[in-house]
Amino acid sequence: MRPYFEKMDPFGKELKKGEIKRTEKDVEAVASAEAEIAEAVQAVKDAGFPTEKINARGQMTVWQRLDYLVDEGTWRPLHTLYNPLDNVEGTTNVIDGIGKISGKWAVIIGFDNKVMAGAWLPGQSENILRVTDLAKRLNLPLVWVVNCSGAKLPEQEKFYANRRGAGTPFYRHTELEQLGIPILAGIYGTNPAGGGYQSISPTILFAHENCNIAVGGAGIVSGMAPKGGFDLEMAEALIDKAKTHKAAPPGTVSTHYDHTGFFRYVFEKEEEVLDGLKDYMKDMPAYNPKFFRVAEPKDPAFPVDDVDRLLPIEPKRTYNFDQILARLVDGSEHTEFRPDYGPEVYTGLCKVDGFLVACIGNRQGYLGKGYPEYADYPGIGGKLYRQGLIKMNEFVTLCGRDRIPIIWFQDTSGIDVGDIAEKAELLGLGQSLIYSIQQTDVPMMLTVLRKGSAAAHYVMGGPTANHHNAFTLGTVATEIYVMHGETAAVASYARRLVKEQAAGNDLQPVIDNMNKIAQEYHDKSRPLFCAKTGMVDEIVNLKDLRFYMQAFAGAAYQNPKSICPQHQMILPRIIKG
Amino acid sequence: MAEDVLSPLAGKIIAVNIEQGADVEEDEEILIIEAMKMETPIYAPCDGKVAEIKVKEGDEVEEDDLLAVIE
Repeated sequence: MRPYFEKMDPFGKELKKGEIKRTEKDVEAVASAEAEIAEAVQAVKDAGFPTEKINARGQMTVWQRLDYLVDEGTWRPLHTLYNPLDNVEGTTNVIDGIGKISGKWAVIIGFDNKVMAGAWLPGQSENILRVTDLAKRLNLPLVWVVNCSGAKLPEQEKFYANRRGAGTPFYRHTELEQLGIPILAGIYGTNPAGGGYQSISPTILFAHENCNIAVGGAGIVSGMAPKGGFDLEMAEALIDKAKTHKAAPPGTVSTHYDHTGFFRYVFEKEEEVLDGLKDYMKDMPAYNPKFFRVAEPKDPAFPVDDVDRLLPIEPKRTYNFDQILARLVDGSEHTEFRPDYGPEVYTGLCKVDGFLVACIGNRQGYLGKGYPEYADYPGIGGKLYRQGLIKMNEFVTLCGRDRIPIIWFQDTSGIDVGDIAEKAELLGLGQSLIYSIQQTDVPMMLTVLRKGSAAAHYVMGGPTANHHNAFTLGTVATEIYVMHGETAAVASYARRLVKEQAAGNDLQPVIDNMNKIAQEYHDKSRPLFCAKTGMVDEIVNLKDLRFYMQAFAGAAYQNPKSICPQHQMILPRIIKG
Repeated sequence: MAEDVLSPLAGKIIAVNIEQGADVEEDEEILIIEAMKMETPIYAPCDGKVAEIKVKEGDEVEEDDLLAVIE
């Protein structure tokens, strides 16, 4: 199949002088917006005790541990700003992402021991479920850096129980193990109760000599005698007891290495625990990349920095999607699928680090005379029409057949609406695309380049494709909502305006409400809000998009559960004809 | 030699970024048309001088209407 993949069709073109001149403002706008995101990320990194204080205790911070553990230049953080329940700590208190350890991709997660000694916080279990889903989808080892003091007790009702509460990750760990996905855990510090199960549920446990893991901590063991309330006498008794209580916490190394043998290894130094993890990662099942590569890896022919100029933050501005994609894929080469059909959507085969990937993205701008063919109005990119939906259905289905991972790019305002569009079967074709995706068992990633809106956000391989979407990225231009805020205000209040006017009432209160709803839609669709609530898994600088695509492609092909021999692929032949 | 700049679609002119007689570079944004809630920028087709501007802000234009001439 070398002729199909070694040299594919070149696409994209160099920026011209006029284009560079008129996009200077865009570069500044992107830099300013990305600085705002970086500031929020730094606040998460600075949460809790300062690094110096943790180091003075002889401990490394979670950030230092991850830095030591992960191969240089391979860390792709996820969920950094995820904080769906607005914790005052500013974090769910786990730090996670994809990275290479000893040359192999893994999903990596650690408790932030700077914040309440790595306590469970609200939103954390949902964060962990995203992480275990990621390991499952990409068939990657999960590596834990455990240092968990258990539940933040004053807020336990927010996360302790429930279908997706703090106990569910342990079932997910078991599920991963049942699927043959190993979980390695380096264990530090005091890990009682929930922390004990965080420690015991992985596959192989690497312990630091000062760690302990237990069903309950020393505080629970010494105080399990409810008397119906507290009074001053009891408080003073507690003070005396706490001052004199010297018992070692349960579940130390002497118990769980020497006695139960739960700990496979014990290490004297913090770094040695991480060295143990690295050593085991060397032996994790992984294909040599040459097994699946279709060509030698190549940088794009055009600078990835150009994307800052090519994607306008202003949501009404049109742009050339193909120009952006040409900055993200190997050699700026592709093989486009059905270029003369469904012009509002790009579908094509590209390479990332020499691996074959399928790319799908919304094109922008005027779609030309006579399109959509079923209507008497002009088609504008960003919207989906009949042909684009049919094309994506076909492409996704063929990618499934050929086992090609899919990278989606969304900037969509929705699917065409109105009775003409209904007669053109768009409702049915949107759901058909959902069926096609669900039927297509390959890993997918999504970048919401700018707009993710209406049903189009659902049908284009987004987080709602639970079993397929590995992760979703946002950019500084991302905005996600069911519809534009002003459209929502009209939908909500148009009839009310008619009634108020008919009654001779002042319209201003209704107008004020309309402006309020429009503003709320704006505020609750911005990149920081999307990241905080989990609509996206990370906000990424535009020039870093390719890094994540490289991680996705490398991870998807590291140990796939199902393969298609290159010479038996049908999609490249269908394109060639 | 002159190059006509035609409207690619029907819409409303919301920005005119050039003046008659000004020098422009190929791909420089010279006008913006709003249609279907989206802004479609119109770029200079070549390096040159603006010979004529046929529209002003607020004008409604039809597809293929002449917007400007670059010499």
